[in-house]
Amino acid sequence: MTDHSEILMNRTTLAKPLGGRLSRLASGHVIAPPLVFAVMLGAVWLLNPNYLSPFGISIVAATAAPILLLALGQATVLNVGSIDLSNAATSLLGTILLAMILPGYGFWGILAILALVTVIGAIVAYAQVPSFALTLGTLGVLQTAALVTSDSQTIYLGANRELVSTLYTTNVGFVPLSFWLAVAVALVFWAALQFTRAGQSMTAMGKNETAAILSGVPVRGLRIAAFAVSGFLGGVAGLAILAQAGSASASGIGSALLLPGIAAALVGGASISGGQTNPLNVIFGALTVAFVPMAIQALGVGAQSQSLVYGLFIILVVALTTTRSRGIVIK
Amino acid sequence: MTDMHPPVLRLSHICRSFGPVKAVNDVSLEIRRGEVVGLIGENGAGKSTLLKILAGIERPDSGEMQLNGCPVQFRGPRDALRAGVGVVHQEQSLFTNLTIAENIDQHSSARSGLERAGLQDWGRINREAARALAKIGVRLSPTTRVGDLSFIDRQMVEIARAVCIDPGQGATPLVILDEPTAVLEAAETQILEREIRKLRDFASVIFVSHRLDEIMRICDRVIVMRSGRLATNKPISDVTKDDLFRAMVDGDHQPVVRRSSPATRTPVLEARGLSRGGAFSEISFSVRPGQILALVGSNGSGCEALMRCVYGAEAVDGGQILVDGRAVRRWSIRKAIAAGLAYVPAERKTEGMIAGLAATRNIALTHPGEGAAGPFLRPGRMARVAQGWFDRLEVRPNDIHAPLIQFSGGNQQKVVLAKWLNAPALKVLLLDHPLRGLDVGAGAIVNRQIRAACAAGAAVVLIPDTIEEALELADDILVLRDGRHSACHDLAGGGAPSIQEIVAEMV
Repeated sequence: MTDHSEILMNRTTLAKPLGGRLSRLASGHVIAPPLVFAVMLGAVWLLNPNYLSPFGISIVAATAAPILLLALGQATVLNVGSIDLSNAATSLLGTILLAMILPGYGFWGILAILALVTVIGAIVAYAQVPSFALTLGTLGVLQTAALVTSDSQTIYLGANRELVSTLYTTNVGFVPLSFWLAVAVALVFWAALQFTRAGQSMTAMGKNETAAILSGVPVRGLRIAAFAVSGFLGGVAGLAILAQAGSASASGIGSALLLPGIAAALVGGASISGGQTNPLNVIFGALTVAFVPMAIQALGVGAQSQSLVYGLFIILVVALTTTRSRGIVIK
Repeated sequence: MTDMHPPVLRLSHICRSFGPVKAVNDVSLEIRRGEVVGLIGENGAGKSTLLKILAGIERPDSGEMQLNGCPVQFRGPRDALRAGVGVVHQEQSLFTNLTIAENIDQHSSARSGLERAGLQDWGRINREAARALAKIGVRLSPTTRVGDLSFIDRQMVEIARAVCIDPGQGATPLVILDEPTAVLEAAETQILEREIRKLRDFASVIFVSHRLDEIMRICDRVIVMRSGRLATNKPISDVTKDDLFRAMVDGDHQPVVRRSSPATRTPVLEARGLSRGGAFSEISFSVRPGQILALVGSNGSGCEALMRCVYGAEAVDGGQILVDGRAVRRWSIRKAIAAGLAYVPAERKTEGMIAGLAATRNIALTHPGEGAAGPFLRPGRMARVAQGWFDRLEVRPNDIHAPLIQFSGGNQQKVVLAKWLNAPALKVLLLDHPLRGLDVGAGAIVNRQIRAACAAGAAVVLIPDTIEEALELADDILVLRDGRHSACHDLAGGGAPSIQEIVAEMV
């Protein structure tokens, strides 16, 4: 060892506390989404404990389940640096098709629809067009497809309905199975991001696509995979919606889930500029987004201003949960 | 006569800490009118922080700063500019989507009547930019988009932007050049040196460089920083290169020994008549295992594009690439990596690394080695792999889980190198300016690893920062001029050419 390296070592001992502090700051968002949700729960409990009855919790969880599934798909796409504006529409179309073919095909029908929405997602990414414009277009196409296939009618579940309704009717600790399913998906996702090469590569390409390409990361394949996952989870979200509503229509529960899905991903700390996603936090993001309307009621806000308060609240929560460690530029 | 004036810059007891780290610790100095002062020190010695204080980006915790005799406190970079401090940053700060003229105008405070009315006066903007470019002897059209320029031309625009400052009434501007030559080729470096001498007539200059030769040639005085303090502050005539080196690292300089001639085996990589429209044409070369080939050329010579084509990052229009004697088809980055090629890009921050990702994950991105089993990562083994490289390459701080952005440039480059050295069968290392912006210590470690990879049987194609670097490291030198083969030197076989000879072949 030369004198030179000793100097470097000395500098290290000085520099380490600073580095440690920076990384602690950067990881601040790991606590924030659960914290935000807990604070909100606490506030509602103080204002009106009735909202937190077993029944209330079950409602929140059932509402949160499809939002969480869509948000996880969205977070996957956000993580590779794109956005999927059509995932809720994919989900809606899947729901309608499923309601139509479930009586005839049962379990195989479910598999077929999940395969279909996965392929729709993959096709969307296969055309190399900027995702915002592209998915904005497919959003319209898919919404029309949903209207046409359902003939603008509400399709009620008939035979084989128990195949999907179990997701809603079976409760585990006040909470319907659909929510636990979504939580399980989040856990799988978290593990995939942490412990697989594909997950690591997705995060890398979201953070710096050029460097990822030059490091041999197969960015095109991974982007297609991310959109396929988003489409697939849109289909699973459709199952959860169908289970809860017992019917499907182009203007039913699933028709307005695009923005809640994005909001849940953002509240869960995902960054819109890519490379920053923690599926476990997205769970709390979805719970928060599902719970806010109830919290607003608990606050006694009048019907006219509920959208206003909802919007302000989402901005506030995203401000609290967004990581700014990446720099001064916030997109 | 100069003594009649107050010093252009006077710092008294400037301190700036980041947490427990005293980045700048009690620094006092004066810079007189027309003086060119060299500022040197290793990465992390506090140079950058001191320059940021002068440029108004950082504020000192304590101490006083005077410009032309008046105490100043900068609240932001704009204040510094207005006071006549122009900086050419190490990290380029140009807007690539704007024209040269618009970029230069960012620093100008001149406004025509048209502009006071809120309109863009293209005539004035372009005229002023042309004047600033002419001042430093660069022939570029002010209406060119900066994004279309090469790295070197962009550097020239930065310099033009820094020297376009209007001195104001009786005040002398201070121009800070933060390693402007780190990315310049020999011919441009000579132009720059000439320009710095011209700057003396109307400005004072702080010149930061890792190259002691340059400091000795250009500067009147030299300041050495070490661990945040001033280690040396002497007229250039009172010091030798060795003195400066010792002052920087507080130890002795051990010159690297040239290794023996390479084994003569069949080429692992061969280019036959490669062409790419507008970049280079009809270039042929080959490298054998254990051989180091340097590609040398000035701005626009096509060296960098050639390397990217060999790596599959850009398409060639004609010619053949052969790996292990077999011509490749539908060449791509993924195929190149599978064939054992590795590429360290010149633009480290934007192309070489994932800044927000931990060092362990950067290393495991391409060749995780034992850090992965099939599609799954094994965090424990990944950490062990990374720690191995951290120890071997003396990466500091020794924190493998820290995001790469928290490391200094030299240590980032070590991690980038480790990512490729971790390849199970590394055949060819393509290095585009691997030492850019590195201090002497980090550079020595990187060079040692390059040689070790060679000794282990890898071939190296290198685009060096300087001709000295090429002469020191390479077995063969291929000189390119305007995208064409200019000359070829076998250093191991025949005698080494002189720097002047190579420069003559470049221009």
